[in-house]
Amino acid sequence: METRQITVIQAAAVLVSTIIGVGVLALPLFAVRAADSGGPLVTFMAMLLAFVGLSLVTWLGMRFPNETIIHYSERIIGKWLAWIGSLFIIIFFAVLTSLTAREFGEVVVTSVLKSTPVEVTVIVMLLLAAISTRHGITTFAHIHTFYFPFLLVPALVIAALSLKNAEVINLLPIWGNEPGGMLKGTLTIAALFQGAFVLTAVIPSMKHPGKAMKASFWGMLVAGGLYVIIVAATISVFGSEEIKKLLWPTLELAKATSLPANILERMDAAFLAVWVTAVFTTLFSSYFFTIYSMSHLFRLKEHKLFSYFILPFVFVMAMVPQNIIQMYEIIENVGRIGLIITIAYPGLLLIVSILRKKRGNPVADNKNVDQNH
Amino acid sequence: MPTRKVRRLNAKLLMPSPSTTMDKYKGQQVSGSLGDTIAFLDGILGINEDFTVRKFNVFGQFPAAIMFFSCMVNQDSVNSDIMKALMYTPPHLIGRSIETNQLSDVIMNDSLYHSKSSLQGELTALVECILRGDTVIAVDGMKESIIITTRSVEKRSIEQPATEQVIRGPREGFIEPLGTNISLIRYRLQSPDLRIQTMEIGRRTKSKVAVCYMDGITNPALVEEVHNRLSKIDIDTVLDSGYLEQFIEDNHYSPFPQVQYTERPDKVVANLAEGRVSILVDGSPLALVVPTVFNQFYQTVEDYTERFLLMSSIRFARLIALVFSLVFPSLYVSIISYNPELIPTDFAVAVAGGRAGVPFPAVIEVIIIEISMEVLREATIRLPQQVGGALSIVGVLVVGQAAVAAGFASPITVVIIALTTIGSFATPAYNAALALRLLRFPLIILAGTFGLYGVMIGLILIANHLLSLKSFGVPYLSPLIPVDFQGLKDLLIRGPLWLMNKRPAFLDPVEETRVSESKFDELKKTSKNVLDPLNDKSE
Repeated sequence: METRQITVIQAAAVLVSTIIGVGVLALPLFAVRAADSGGPLVTFMAMLLAFVGLSLVTWLGMRFPNETIIHYSERIIGKWLAWIGSLFIIIFFAVLTSLTAREFGEVVVTSVLKSTPVEVTVIVMLLLAAISTRHGITTFAHIHTFYFPFLLVPALVIAALSLKNAEVINLLPIWGNEPGGMLKGTLTIAALFQGAFVLTAVIPSMKHPGKAMKASFWGMLVAGGLYVIIVAATISVFGSEEIKKLLWPTLELAKATSLPANILERMDAAFLAVWVTAVFTTLFSSYFFTIYSMSHLFRLKEHKLFSYFILPFVFVMAMVPQNIIQMYEIIENVGRIGLIITIAYPGLLLIVSILRKKRGNPVADNKNVDQNH
Repeated sequence: MPTRKVRRLNAKLLMPSPSTTMDKYKGQQVSGSLGDTIAFLDGILGINEDFTVRKFNVFGQFPAAIMFFSCMVNQDSVNSDIMKALMYTPPHLIGRSIETNQLSDVIMNDSLYHSKSSLQGELTALVECILRGDTVIAVDGMKESIIITTRSVEKRSIEQPATEQVIRGPREGFIEPLGTNISLIRYRLQSPDLRIQTMEIGRRTKSKVAVCYMDGITNPALVEEVHNRLSKIDIDTVLDSGYLEQFIEDNHYSPFPQVQYTERPDKVVANLAEGRVSILVDGSPLALVVPTVFNQFYQTVEDYTERFLLMSSIRFARLIALVFSLVFPSLYVSIISYNPELIPTDFAVAVAGGRAGVPFPAVIEVIIIEISMEVLREATIRLPQQVGGALSIVGVLVVGQAAVAAGFASPITVVIIALTTIGSFATPAYNAALALRLLRFPLIILAGTFGLYGVMIGLILIANHLLSLKSFGVPYLSPLIPVDFQGLKDLLIRGPLWLMNKRPAFLDPVEETRVSESKFDELKKTSKNVLDPLNDKSE
């Protein structure tokens, strides 16, 4: 086992870059479908819901600061039940990986590489993730920290530049016209946050697991804040009715904005290129989490051997949806199931662990003063 | 035995000698008979023409012989300091009888005018000493022979470092002999904490390798690890520090160098004072510095000698050049072939016009020009200087111009490649620039197949590789990743010296502080405008 090296900042960066991914491209569409101009509000509520889920996970992780969820679930609810739960988690994250790769593959072949088959773009992304998972969890955290600015800056730049075309009237009323759909929309968008579950694998390698809650708070705040900003910017530029006709409104937003002084005539290709990093980090997280959990489930020392082993399975799963429409249906359904796995299941574990008074051994806090807290 | 300046390692590394003649005599002692010793040494070394054996009598009464390689010793010193001193009986001993068993004491304490001398009883060790350039004196009846360090090998003078020139800063560069190089370091760092430990590496060459570090600054575990890695090297020849680098680096298959080399003593001293370890090899003008992180490759000595504001901006320019040299051609290829809508329309039209007669797709065109540029660059380095200048003019101006005129390449391509090449020259570290030069080619191919998307994939792969690299356990992108706020002051910018008051944390030094902040405040507070006209009391 590697030494505990991951700092709070790194853990927060892992969360942010895991959450922000290809989902952002379609996010405003989900938001306006649920509540028209109330999109930002729905996104905000989804963020709160996701934060509740994440704090359950974090709380659970802090009770067992030395183990991943695969291990401590066995101690909480017994070996066989936990095995089934873990299996579901692993399968769910494998599916999440494949859907992320497919979704981005579709985006690329639709908007930039029009004559490239979607299989190629999907396999390229998956290979990229697979190659990168062959390192330890410390490198995993380092990679996420490194890409962190590459996610925030382009999204914020696009949002800032779009202010030129923004109309505040498009955002009113802020609770939307039909508040009835809000709950469903909240669940759909909250599902976009479920990559944050990877924190369960990060906590056992954190320098100070006691500060995991801080990391999850900041991670959620930054990622959720960015989500809200993007939704608000997109709705204010296009208006909710227009967005309903767009497949990837965020991409259209990039297309509609231009840099001052016309340095780049159109931004969408450049934005998409930069967005490859955001998608990569998301894909990387779910891929890594899948094989990392597998190695823990089978009590293996190394997760490396799975990196290429699951590649064909993930690829085949990614190719299952027939077209974009079906893909998004599957994504929504999988997302709802995911909420059970990433929020309800850890919630259950937490309750049982409290009732049964189970706890992990506390970690002797590192004596070296952490410079980055 | 006199205490030596250079402390030998406890675990002395004597590689199994491949020389079978030497193995046969391993462990044999000097018998005491002069004839036997001469016969032994003559048998092994006598075939060489420059092996000299000169018989004489010590103090006019004890038969002795002096043996050395005539071309490796300082003859004057041998004649006047050794031969002369030994032939005459010291004035205060005239008339006293000297027993054979006292002889070694008398010679060492009373007569020899040479500070570096020792006694050695093992025959094979005598051979090694002669090979190293020492002089051996065997005296009849003595069970040990005297070894005197008389080595004198021709060396060039100390010159300006050819590859690391600065405008402001010291002008000295290392030369080949280890002793001179150590002296260049030692006079800059007159501290008892400077430790220089030597070992021998190379089964045949027995090259002397010096490991330098600062006691009380450098992490002892690091020093230990450097020794550990060096001591496990088993190679027959070590002709340059580069041989060692390839053994001690962490990832042998990475294009990125994980050990820094330098020919500047001041740079070595700066690194030692930061808490790094430096490795010098006899016969190599390049010192290695470990551990190395990526940011060292675009820093120069001058960054620290010139004022911080100016050098920060220059460092920034250097960084841009570094990025240019990596991505510029691939960005060009992907924009031209996949996303021409990104660039302003007027310019796109101009580019299309320039490319009108070019028969190849942009990716092929760029690769061809890139390769010819590499060939040209290599040729310029190999050619003698007088011809090199002419060749570069012919190559770049004439061939470039003609290629465009012939419709072989578009003018924009030539501009892009030229910028890229210049960019790669602006990177101070040659080996890092090489790595980026190499990685440019896969990036161009990726750009040709997948456009901007491919370039990003390639860059992500490179970045992930960099993030997973380690040099002696230090993450390669420190202090950027993992974030160290102290270290960020010396990453993209070069912070003011008084603010960079801590040594790099990733080196985990024993003592962290290097600049006293409170003293600096005091300096600012107590500075007076002594020559302010208001203070002029002479009126």
